[in-house]
Amino acid sequence: MNGAVPTTIIVVGLALAGYALLMTALNRRMTVPLLAAVGVLEILLLVEVGIIVAKLASGEHPAGLATLIGYLIAAPLVPVAAAFWGLMERSRWGPAVIVVAGLAAAVLMVRLHQIWPVIHV
Amino acid sequence: MASRPDSTRTGPGRLLIAIYALFALSASARAAVQIATKFSHAPVAYLLSAFAGVVYILAAVTLAVGTPTARRIAVLSCSVELAGVLAVGTWSLADPATFPDATVWSSYGSGYGFVPLVLPVFGLLWLRRWTRRSRARTTTVTSAEDAGAAAGGDAAHGEGAAPGQGAEDVVADGRT
Repeated sequence: MNGAVPTTIIVVGLALAGYALLMTALNRRMTVPLLAAVGVLEILLLVEVGIIVAKLASGEHPAGLATLIGYLIAAPLVPVAAAFWGLMERSRWGPAVIVVAGLAAAVLMVRLHQIWPVIHV
Repeated sequence: MASRPDSTRTGPGRLLIAIYALFALSASARAAVQIATKFSHAPVAYLLSAFAGVVYILAAVTLAVGTPTARRIAVLSCSVELAGVLAVGTWSLADPATFPDATVWSSYGSGYGFVPLVLPVFGLLWLRRWTRRSRARTTTVTSAEDAGAAAGGDAAHGEGAAPGQGAEDVVADGRT
């Protein structure tokens, strides 16, 4: 399986975390560009979920199938939940929530690879 | 703006709850899968993971609720969490045979970037600020806080909220 999407997710996730951390440091609230970046990460995660589901549909399964399915459900939920939770905050701590979401997306890709090595990163 | 949070769920608490929620999800979901599929492989580790998951859920929810009672439960869960990560961390290093599979708290949470070790410390520091603040002030209910209670249900538990901040509560909670 091509590792381009997971690798992109890691890069985008880390970049998003860095950007959001900068916003926190600069004492900014949630902004539209930051939300747009979360949206990009979300789309990439959905694409990756689609790729993995297609792989599962073709008949191959990892040993930890239940865990993998858990990750497939959780991964796209994290940025959405973080965006809502961050938007409710009217201080620098809104972007700080997005830092967590960006880092989580990157970590999730590494964990996916550990669960099912055919998912390259 | 200067961060003058009016509930344990705003300001730095917003970040704490986000991390707690993430750990609640990962620890409890992982434990559920492990207990359901291969419990006999490492029963102690999986039960401890499940326990950790429950503690994280409790901390996330009580920090988000933020009433005085919820804060007391939050202090308790953060304390249990800190004790747990120290005890299980030591246990996992002293007796690796009991832990063929890792828990969230194994090796003081090294598998999770030591976040499990640091998180309860920040949680307790954050909660201590609130305990101090509510002790320092008498419970004066302002009209703004009344409005907050009417609009947002649990918006106005912040005994620490200054009169000017009560109005902000209403705005903030209108969005929830």
